[in-house]
Amino acid sequence: MRFLDLLGMSVSNLKRRKMRTFLTVLGVIIGTASVVIMVSLGIGLNGLMMEQYSSYGDMTMVTVNSNTYYGGGQDVDESQFLTDDTMKQIAVLDHVTNVSPVLRADVVLKQGLYYCSQSITGVSRDYLEKIPLGQGELAAADDNELKFYYGNRVIMWFSNEKTGAGYGDNEELPPVDFMGKPMFVIFDTNAYWQTRGNNTESSVKPPKKYLIGTGGVVEGTFRDYNNYSYDIYCDAELLKQQLKTIFRKNPIPGQPTNRKGKPYPYFVYSQLMVFVDDMENVTDVQKQLSDMGYQTNSQMEWIEQAQQTYGMVQLVLGGIGAVSLFVAAIGIANTMMMSIYERTKEIGVIKVLGCDMRNIRNMFLLESGFIGFMGGVVGLCISYGVGYAMNHFLSLGQMMMGVDGDISRIPFWLAGGAIVFAILVGMLAGFFPSLRAMHLSPLAAIRNE
Amino acid sequence: MVDRGNPIIQVKNLYKIYRVGDTRVHALDGVDFTVYKGEFCAIVGPSGSGKSTLLNMLAGLEKPTKGQIVIDKIHIEDMTENQLVEFRRKRVGFIFQSYNLLQTMNAVENVALPLSFRGVPKKKRNEIAVRYLKLVGLEKQMKHMANAMSGGQQQRVGIARALAVNPKIIFADEPTGNLDSKTTLEILKLMRQVVREQNQTLVMVTHDNNLAAYADRQFHIVDGKIVRIVEKAEADRMSGGTAADERMVGGTLDMTAELPEEAVETAEFSASPR
Ligand SMILES: Nc1ncnc2c1ncn2[C@@H]1O[C@H](COP(=O)(O)OP(=O)(O)O)[C@@H](O)[C@H]1O
Ligand SMILES: [Mg+2]
Repeated sequence: MRFLDLLGMSVSNLKRRKMRTFLTVLGVIIGTASVVIMVSLGIGLNGLMMEQYSSYGDMTMVTVNSNTYYGGGQDVDESQFLTDDTMKQIAVLDHVTNVSPVLRADVVLKQGLYYCSQSITGVSRDYLEKIPLGQGELAAADDNELKFYYGNRVIMWFSNEKTGAGYGDNEELPPVDFMGKPMFVIFDTNAYWQTRGNNTESSVKPPKKYLIGTGGVVEGTFRDYNNYSYDIYCDAELLKQQLKTIFRKNPIPGQPTNRKGKPYPYFVYSQLMVFVDDMENVTDVQKQLSDMGYQTNSQMEWIEQAQQTYGMVQLVLGGIGAVSLFVAAIGIANTMMMSIYERTKEIGVIKVLGCDMRNIRNMFLLESGFIGFMGGVVGLCISYGVGYAMNHFLSLGQMMMGVDGDISRIPFWLAGGAIVFAILVGMLAGFFPSLRAMHLSPLAAIRNE
Repeated sequence: MVDRGNPIIQVKNLYKIYRVGDTRVHALDGVDFTVYKGEFCAIVGPSGSGKSTLLNMLAGLEKPTKGQIVIDKIHIEDMTENQLVEFRRKRVGFIFQSYNLLQTMNAVENVALPLSFRGVPKKKRNEIAVRYLKLVGLEKQMKHMANAMSGGQQQRVGIARALAVNPKIIFADEPTGNLDSKTTLEILKLMRQVVREQNQTLVMVTHDNNLAAYADRQFHIVDGKIVRIVEKAEADRMSGGTAADERMVGGTLDMTAELPEEAVETAEFSASPR
């Protein structure tokens, strides 16, 4: 028997009992809609969380820390230093697109009466490019002048050199202007502290101040937070040049020294930033790195934990929806049984006329599958409607997570999956009734009531 | 037209025993006969004599307890249900007492239905259906739904449906059982005429001797046994030289106007214990 003929018979049977078909389909509509809406909420919550995390910073970034503590100079394991060589080793790993050094140097920043003691972070140009600047812009690649890029919260560290008053004391932002006024930078912080105030007896001569231009400031006000809010960034290579010209053969503060107190002929980084091609590979790269003996951190660790939690939430929500779909499935099975009782004679007739047992089974499977299909399609449309209402009129996302974004999300796989699932549920519910129909005796057709 | 050298149904030593509680009902009790190609046979007997049981087994709707059924040189007694369906689809047409048209379909669709089980495309099978509906005289009722037709018209559709698949054999169980006497005659004549024209084999079950007289041969069955086989010529001679159909042409089908011999037989049967 041709599929279209089979389908035609199934559909015409459904049309015969319109009210009953409608009520059965209604059950599937409600079931599908509740599953889809619940799952879409789970996806929405998960998505909102991801967006929140990604607004904090790059999620494909892995931070590598050295196992060696190099401040003391006693038990220094030089092989564990994070150097340019280490960067080259890591760069060749699978899924790693880029490695940036994190070269820390302690400095004192001064603008007028206000100062702050901070460390600056020298990173690669690739890293700099990722920093979302609110003011100014990244210098051209061939610009050889050292420039600082300030985090949007750095301003809070400044305090008055005379009174010592800072933001923490009076809740008042110091009048520091990164972009408008010049910023003086002292690299030789040891000398700065020794000559600070009126310590004239000191044999140390006051350190030199350097005027370092501001490249830009990270976006957001001092109240906003992201990964770049608290740091001062600059190009690592330019920073190295600067440090070399200032300290020459002398040890650079923050850089390790060997047992004799001599600096190493290369720079040692406090961290490395590894960029991974895709979020999914972050864990994999982290594992490779820890196998190499490094300590690593990434946002993914937090996200994975949170995702597990949301996975549970999603499962529970989906489960609640599935209950109503299950009830709908019972409705389908019931309808199919009724229909078979009514049509016992008809089934007998078509069996006598030579309709294959398989065709009879398929006819009923198609019928119940069609009920599932119609319920699935309409249920999906309703889900879209309800989701739209939740996203646009209720803005539940804002209420529940404090983030702007859609709380109900129906990706393509969910839409397609819902319809396929509804059809499957229909066919499953119709399976045993259809077997029953298949095995009905053809003699029923011949008996006369 | 009847090809005596070409048997189409061969039944050998056929038994059907139903178990009802502890008792055994011998619905068929050792039946042997042969039907030839192009023949119109009637299975006649009183109610409960096993006619329907026999027909159902010939059509592969029921399995015999014992014995052989060879249809078109194929043994069907050991077939599985699936094989029997295929056998029916390819070789058998069936006419029911209560017509059994599908209520959701019109005349053409009903006739085309068994063709759809064979995978014939819609256009083709509708053409065939229209042809057979014309043959049974329903040019004007092609698009009528089943319940919008009289009993006689419905049975005509039933006949067209049985013919449409061009089967080797057509079985009919009391095809006129639900019809009035005038329509009964029309249908009977139509069946005989059509199967002759199409050179089909027809096996009809009836409890009515007068209707059986239309057949080329009658198998008289009592208590699950064939007691007598009557050829048409013989039947005509016994009814006093008048053909059975001519006797009924008057329009009134006189049920009491039994043939003398059969009257005797009936009396005999009712006396015998069942
Ligand atoms: N399914 C069955 N179960 C038990 N007994 C049956 C069954 N079908 C038929 N019979 C018995 O077999 C005998 C023949 O029945 P049937 O062939 O229907 O007679 P007919 O068609 O000649 O009136 C009857 O006695 C009937 O009661
Ligand atoms: Mg009967």
